[in-house]
Amino acid sequence: MFDFRFYEIWRSEEFVQVLFEGAFNSFWLTTVGGIFGFILGTGLALLQDKSVFVGLRLLARSYVEIIRNTPFVVQMFFVAFGLPILLDMQWSFFASALLAIMLNFSAYFSEIIRSGIDSTPKGQIEAAYSLGFKKYDLVKDIILPQALEKVYPSLVSQFVFLFLTTGLISEIGIEDITWAGRFISDRNFRDFEVYLVLSAIYMSMSWMFILILNGCRRKLFPWRAEK
Amino acid sequence: MTDLLISIFGDFYGNMLGILLNATQWTIYLSLTAFVGGGIVGLVMTVLKISPSKPLRVFASMYIWFFQSIPLLMLLFILGLGVPVFFSIDVPPWLAASVALTLFTSAYLSEVWRGALQSIPKGQWEGGTAVGMTFSQNLIYIIAPQAIRIAIPSTVGFMIQVIKGTSMAYIINYDDLMRWGKKIANSQLDGAEPFIIFPIVGLFYFALCFPLSCLSKHLEKRLNTQNR
Amino acid sequence: MNEATNNSIVIENMNKWYDDFQVLKDINLTIKQGERIVICGPSGSGKSTLIRCLNHLEIYQEGKITVNDVHVFNGMKNPEAIRVEVGMVFQSFNLFPHLTVLDNCILPQLRVLGLDKVKARETAMTFLERVKIPDQADKYPAQLSGGQQQRVAIARALCMKPQIMLFDEPTSALDPEMVNEVLDTMLELAESGMTMVCVTHEMGFAAKAADRVIFMDAGQIIEDSTPTEFFENPKHERAKEFLGQIL
Ligand SMILES: Nc1ncnc2c1ncn2[C@@H]1O[C@H](COP(=O)(O)OP(=O)(O)O)[C@@H](O)[C@H]1O
Ligand SMILES: [Mg+2]
Repeated sequence: MFDFRFYEIWRSEEFVQVLFEGAFNSFWLTTVGGIFGFILGTGLALLQDKSVFVGLRLLARSYVEIIRNTPFVVQMFFVAFGLPILLDMQWSFFASALLAIMLNFSAYFSEIIRSGIDSTPKGQIEAAYSLGFKKYDLVKDIILPQALEKVYPSLVSQFVFLFLTTGLISEIGIEDITWAGRFISDRNFRDFEVYLVLSAIYMSMSWMFILILNGCRRKLFPWRAEK
Repeated sequence: MTDLLISIFGDFYGNMLGILLNATQWTIYLSLTAFVGGGIVGLVMTVLKISPSKPLRVFASMYIWFFQSIPLLMLLFILGLGVPVFFSIDVPPWLAASVALTLFTSAYLSEVWRGALQSIPKGQWEGGTAVGMTFSQNLIYIIAPQAIRIAIPSTVGFMIQVIKGTSMAYIINYDDLMRWGKKIANSQLDGAEPFIIFPIVGLFYFALCFPLSCLSKHLEKRLNTQNR
Repeated sequence: MNEATNNSIVIENMNKWYDDFQVLKDINLTIKQGERIVICGPSGSGKSTLIRCLNHLEIYQEGKITVNDVHVFNGMKNPEAIRVEVGMVFQSFNLFPHLTVLDNCILPQLRVLGLDKVKARETAMTFLERVKIPDQADKYPAQLSGGQQQRVAIARALCMKPQIMLFDEPTSALDPEMVNEVLDTMLELAESGMTMVCVTHEMGFAAKAADRVIFMDAGQIIEDSTPTEFFENPKHERAKEFLGQIL
């Protein structure tokens, strides 16, 4: 009854290559976008501190709420097709995809990082102040490292969740995994098998991301491992 | 409605907003279907997951794991494009989208609910068992009422993920807000440039999601103060 | 007005409120350089609040506090300057869990005193030796016992070369068998001539090290006497009761 023809994918060297290239593009765009998103997210989290000038704080808060309450695809189309006209600048679709991923991830990351910052024990802040720390050093050297350690698992699962939505960048012509799937199914008409294989690729890549990120954990936060 | 919009925003934008508003209802229908469907399936999975039978628990775990790991976009493609080709049947976009989003929603909701159930102290279960309650009596009368209170904020919060998730359904030709927004943006008409249309579409989604986000936060805060 | 005196700490007619609740009432206290003060009193009497006002961890509303001839007040520009001169040890240690013992002692020197790493490390090792845990320098706080952690906390504060040390119940969170190692460290410090203000209920320590014992109740200082006087002949009923409970 079931007539699976996965070999319709493997038999073509071109298909296999497109898949590999797609996986590679998805990987590096998500990784680089994720790193920039993390940096921006950290900034956004810090900007929401009570001590920040209220206008700036409101701006950061609004940004996070806007991103979190609108779909990625809308943000991406705006960045890819709207922003260039608005700013009268040209950039590649790769740049658009990277920017969209960064802007999107940053809002989710900032929310998580902020929860970590908020949960800093009062004693840590008092100890730093009693030693003569200024706010800037307190945040950079005491609060942030501890907060990031605490929320690292949440950041990892958020990252993987967001990775699973990046297939949308194929919609602006980025040759990622999803794009590879469309390329192949347009030619061999085995949509079902193709998207099953794509799902498996996405799953293994999530798994790989988790492995890598959990591996980094000991390096990033050595004090945790020593407990 | 469109007449009213035209009288406020003029012919062009009034018509456009009318179209988008009309399309928004399909986004809402799909979200509600996914939420109700996902809620029912998710509830079943949650119960299976904590049931006394090991095979059922394993099945539920696999289900939850699988549909959390597979990208929603892939589910849409498999059901909307793959299934029709593979089984030579006709699957309308609304059906494919509903099923895909239901599967997606059910997996995440059952995860949320299981977490809520697990946060109920073990003693509560034992208390019920001690007075001779069966598993299901215990669950329905003792555990669930407490767990529901805990689970409601994140459940409402997940509604937002569902609504945002529906925006991908345009890819398999489901006629929703996103699809019409994209059509208008592609129309090349003056005043319908992408930098105008997409923020408007975003605003429509925001109008759906933001109230839920506020509600979720409010409920969470109330829960925390009650517990203290 | 700001001419140098040999007073470390002067508190004049100080009052502090939390909203409507007055935690400190008309506090007057002068502590000379090199003096060792023990503050005791029932829980909630305002001991912590009082010493936390001294390094501007808390603000106060009325009166005047002068520390090392510097006026400490709400809204002061540079509280860091006074905090460097005043070391503080907390009940719950408050070591930085993400830094090794050595880095706990080095980092504040780098950030606050602006020292270079080599010099800071040298100082850190000196004080870790003084509190007798140089061998734990590369461990993380979580790997140490409570007593060891508290000694590191003392070393960390001393690395800043403060002129005054504040202790807020430094042994209350410790298992009984670890209390003495911390008290011994504090005794040694007392002998070195450091100005010390210790909130503690360790009356043995008070008897050995304190020049004066201050007894607080309900936000007020109600006894200020020598240890001998305080133990043998407490003037107030509340102090007698308190001594009866803890001795
Ligand atoms: N941040 C605060 N807000 C309101 N009340 C406080 C606060 N901190 C301490 N208090 C109250 O002030 C009183 C004195 O506290 P504290 O100085 O910690 O007492 P002690 O150290 O003598 O036990 C207590 O009644 C306490 O409840
Ligand atoms: Mg206290």
